[in-house]
Amino acid sequence: MKVIKAIYNFLVGDMIILVGILLVVLLLALNANVAALSPLRVISGPILIIAVLGVLTATLLREARAQK
Amino acid sequence: MQWAVAIAAFLASAVEFVEAFTIVLVVGVTINWRSALVGAFAAAATLAVIVATLGVALVQYVPIDVLRLVVGIVLILFGLKWLKKAILRYSGLKAIHDEEAIFEETRAELRARGEMIAPRFEPFAIILSYKSVLLEGLEVAFIVITFGSSSATNACNNVCGINSAAIGAAVAGLLVIIAGAVIRAPLTKVPENTLKFVVGIMLTSFGTFWAGEGFLVSWPGADAFILVLVIIYLLASFLLVTYLKSYKKRRLALSEPGTTSPVSAEKHEEVHP
Repeated sequence: MKVIKAIYNFLVGDMIILVGILLVVLLLALNANVAALSPLRVISGPILIIAVLGVLTATLLREARAQK
Repeated sequence: MQWAVAIAAFLASAVEFVEAFTIVLVVGVTINWRSALVGAFAAAATLAVIVATLGVALVQYVPIDVLRLVVGIVLILFGLKWLKKAILRYSGLKAIHDEEAIFEETRAELRARGEMIAPRFEPFAIILSYKSVLLEGLEVAFIVITFGSSSATNACNNVCGINSAAIGAAVAGLLVIIAGAVIRAPLTKVPENTLKFVVGIMLTSFGTFWAGEGFLVSWPGADAFILVLVIIYLLASFLLVTYLKSYKKRRLALSEPGTTSPVSAEKHEEVHP
């Protein structure tokens, strides 16, 4: 458990960033592999950029609100 | 030689080397230089072994497309972590990293333990120096391996990429050691937060680009789109810093006496006694 926590802290150290990016990866993986979602493949790039910006905004707002 | 990779590795390494140098310096000044240097060199040797083994294994056994996807995701995570810290510091929500304060804090800690200048090897000093260089250096090694191994182009394969990143990191290390040796003080003049911000932007941009390629995204303009990503993240960061600054001002104004409820005033006092 200690090792996993050390790796988590070394790599990211923030649950919002980790969960947010993993969700986006899952979404893009589905988008790339499910035939029914093929029309959405052209917007995979914009989805990734918007998601990264959304995750950054979410974690910063959480930090700002936590500092009451 | 890939300049973008070398510059990113140089900037990231400079930040980490300054942090490691501060601890080695305090160990050298407070206990003795022999122990501080032995710990630092042992950690450097450990890091060299890690880069050589992991770097070679990655380059030889993992296909470049898989590598780019995994490295892209990891770089986004890593980049967002650095970017978040830098934006919080710029907006005043987090204290600026102060090497001088760390220097004084570590020195006080060593004095409290009864450690003093001695000519012989001190195991505690060696371990402290080793640990700090190894921990800070691991981040450098991580960036050198991931960045270098994923940046293969027609002109430069992934071994060449790792070499470019390693050269950037080595130059940063040398500069920090020379600067530190000349002034013999914590490198407080290094704009650490700016470096962290720039590296955060670069890691996030490269990470987004490579992760996208891993998902078969065809970026307009191919590699040139990395510049567009840098601009997008820079603009977004600027907007976030501006918003967070005004958010902080609003909160402070609300908690001024006479303009707020006693409950929020109490909370403000807890944070700013």
